[in-house]
Amino acid sequence: MDTIDNIPAAETGTKPLGAARVGIGGPVGSGKTALIEQLLVHLAKRSISTAVITNDLVTAEDAERLRKGGAIDPARVLAVEAGACPHTVIREDPTLNIIAADQLDRLYRDLELTIIESGGDNLASTFSLDLVDWWIFVIDVAGGDDIPRKRGPGVLQCDLLVVNKVDLAPHVGVDLGRMLEEARSVRDGRPVVATNCRSGENVAAVADAIAEAVLVAR
Amino acid sequence: MGATSSSPDHTITGILGSRLDPQWHDRLHHMEHHGGIDLVRLDTRDLSRRRLRVTSESGADCMIALARDEPLFDGAVLFADEAHAIVLKVNLERWLRLRPTSAEDALALGYAAGNLHWRVRFRGKDLEVAMEGPEQGYLDRIPDLIESGAVIVVAEETSSA
Repeated sequence: MDTIDNIPAAETGTKPLGAARVGIGGPVGSGKTALIEQLLVHLAKRSISTAVITNDLVTAEDAERLRKGGAIDPARVLAVEAGACPHTVIREDPTLNIIAADQLDRLYRDLELTIIESGGDNLASTFSLDLVDWWIFVIDVAGGDDIPRKRGPGVLQCDLLVVNKVDLAPHVGVDLGRMLEEARSVRDGRPVVATNCRSGENVAAVADAIAEAVLVAR
Repeated sequence: MGATSSSPDHTITGILGSRLDPQWHDRLHHMEHHGGIDLVRLDTRDLSRRRLRVTSESGADCMIALARDEPLFDGAVLFADEAHAIVLKVNLERWLRLRPTSAEDALALGYAAGNLHWRVRFRGKDLEVAMEGPEQGYLDRIPDLIESGAVIVVAEETSSA
């Protein structure tokens, strides 16, 4: 048998890994910021060191909301002002967001997870995988139960689809069961989670999915 | 950190080398003869990720967590011990080949492809679209061009990533 020597000791890297980067996108008003507010509580309970980057058109409205929410050190929330179409800074040229995420990695050496919230957009919005490792698309029941059938790239390509505001289904004439079934169908069975981010219903499942997909035990 | 939902079999935080490296080639060849090579298969688009959870062909649960400046590539050696190795294999990329029937139709197709943010390449007078989902999903986006015969679908081709 040949001798096998000089093989590196398998699984250890020497470079600093930095935090995992998870994108959260979706239409205006679907509940992206509300989801993050609830996620921060779950992540804190699990002692996951987290930071957030928000993207707004010309303000820092979402960042301010998270800073005031009390679920995260306000210094760990950075605001990127897109100044143009929200998808431009998460897909075509994500430089501003990459710079912000790199900055957070330098500032917080223990950082494990950086959440990047897109500005509200349309169903065609997607994240560049040069920016994020994994991404969530948030739609909501009140936006119409035909959203999955429209097969928007955001709905089809995301790693996890969140259908939010499930409590509103009976008030807006939506057959929630059918909506979720159609969502799973157009996504070929890839994961879909139904949430109510006002009450926190099922947000733990979203936190579980993030942990399962991208977090490394230290 | 709180525990992940389940612990992976392997946590890979660095790429050990390339299967093409002389120092790896012979060793991997030796392992292969003894059934020691396992493959992780990824699509081209997933090479940009630095964190991902994948299952190898033999069922090993792998958490890949790389530094931002360390890219994945076909043939990357992800894990090795004396008798076994896990190597990354990039799946063949599928391309949808579309042939416009006139210059006007070519302009319309080019506009649509750009507007839909498709990843494309040119082959002669044809436009090829990298498919990251079912073919029909792409054709559904340009129904007028297809149904009118302005654009013809040429047989699907594959190419190395």
